[in-house]
Amino acid sequence: MAMIEVKNITKSFGSNIVLRDFSVDFEQSGVTVILGPSGTGKSTLLRCINGLEKTDKGEILVDGLSVNNKKNLRQIRLACGMVFQQTVIFPQMNVMENLIMSPIKLLKTPKGEAVDRARFYLKKVGLESKEKSRHNELSGGEQQRIAIARALMMNPKALLLDEVTSALDPEMTREVLNILENLASEGVCMLCVTHEMQFAKDVASRILFLDGGKLICDTGKEDFFYNARKENERINKFLSFIGD
Amino acid sequence: MQEAHVYGKYAHFAIGDLYTFLSSCGTTLTVTLISLFLGSILGIVIGLIRCSHNKVVCTVPLVFIEPLRNSPLVVQLFLVYYGLPVVTGTLLDVYSAAILTLSLNTAAFFSVLVHNSIKAVPVAQWEVGYALGHSKASTFIHIIAQQAVRLLIPQAITLYIGQLQCSSILSLISLRDLCRVGQLLTVRTMQPFIVWGIVFFLYYAISFPLARLASYLEKRLNYSY
Ligand SMILES: Nc1ncnc2c1ncn2[C@@H]1O[C@H](COP(=O)(O)OP(=O)(O)OP(=O)(O)O)[C@@H](O)[C@H]1O
Ligand SMILES: [Mg+2]
Repeated sequence: MAMIEVKNITKSFGSNIVLRDFSVDFEQSGVTVILGPSGTGKSTLLRCINGLEKTDKGEILVDGLSVNNKKNLRQIRLACGMVFQQTVIFPQMNVMENLIMSPIKLLKTPKGEAVDRARFYLKKVGLESKEKSRHNELSGGEQQRIAIARALMMNPKALLLDEVTSALDPEMTREVLNILENLASEGVCMLCVTHEMQFAKDVASRILFLDGGKLICDTGKEDFFYNARKENERINKFLSFIGD
Repeated sequence: MQEAHVYGKYAHFAIGDLYTFLSSCGTTLTVTLISLFLGSILGIVIGLIRCSHNKVVCTVPLVFIEPLRNSPLVVQLFLVYYGLPVVTGTLLDVYSAAILTLSLNTAAFFSVLVHNSIKAVPVAQWEVGYALGHSKASTFIHIIAQQAVRLLIPQAITLYIGQLQCSSILSLISLRDLCRVGQLLTVRTMQPFIVWGIVFFLYYAISFPLARLASYLEKRLNYSY
């Protein structure tokens, strides 16, 4: 059984049908990069997976639990950590508190243990010196790395990453991608929506290409960047447009 | 009887007038503070109901809020003090009527501030809470509430200052507050400039520091998201 099973979902906003009878499975390993032009429903797909958006039809199972059942949402969200394009640090808390609040409140982790784990993840994202900083003392890249660490604090089985670098300048983008590459090499399961082609080429084990709410292509990265590109005009156009 | 005392015995300022002023200041402050306290609590409850995602539930409080926000306080006061006893059959004393009116009025305005402050916290903060596994209530308590309170505080102080000044209207049902004592002493001493000058100064002396505090807190507490 795949960890995430998306089964024939349809999702629309008003009359705008974003995902149409959409199905895909994700195994519990590797990095899947989700590509596609703007407005094709990449964010919507991720948001449906962890129940931030309700689907109109179809079903999504995470670890065999249906997202349609409200009672499962908590467990599903604990299983799938999500980081958003827009950086969000809780402004009333310092970095350490941002990291340990949810494990303490939701997983009942003892404070000392949570602090130790937070230090471990802060080190991993290269911010061990920022424990006491507030959101306004952090750069965008640092905030995003903290958001990643905060998601990891919940021990998720997979990370859903929605264009986590697209609000950052190139230098900060690099910082964040380095972190993600390290996580990938440690075998953390990730679903990344991104426009960073180099990142896709380097770490993706699988590439999905969405267009018009449909899955156009689902393949390995070598195949995608060579064969699929040659065979599918739409993909070729997209890759050329994005400067690849 | 006290009013007779003020009217009758003295024709010019006496040392007792100082006491009269101070005690009336006390009345103004007591009535206002009690009303602000009760009004804020009720306002929080109503403001939270306003935040409900259920279309019906979130509209219900408007039945309470809108009439109170869109009618003069003095009319609300007369309705409570003179009108209500006709329906309920029990007379309200001046204090109760004053506190009841000012509390309800404050609650209406306060609930709007509460609602707006909660709405002013970016949706992204909620979504991150949900994505971490928090329920709606848990997200509100652990993530949103503190941010909303920080946005609320300066606005609340500004409302409180306004309500303190509006409390002068309560003198119209003979509550012996600062304003009422001003009227009484003017009649007795025939020194309106001095009397109203003092009343003016006392209201100002209470409000001004609060106003400064509000603008200070507004700068201090504001998040730049
Ligand atoms: N909350 C919403 N209400 C209404 N329409 C929405 C909402 N969220 C998304 N949409 C619409 O759904 C479509 C898909 O949006 P989505 O954000 O999933 O696209 P995307 O593939 O992530 O694009 P981008 O690369 O620009 O982030 C768009 O047409 C968008 O306008
Ligand atoms: Mg998107």
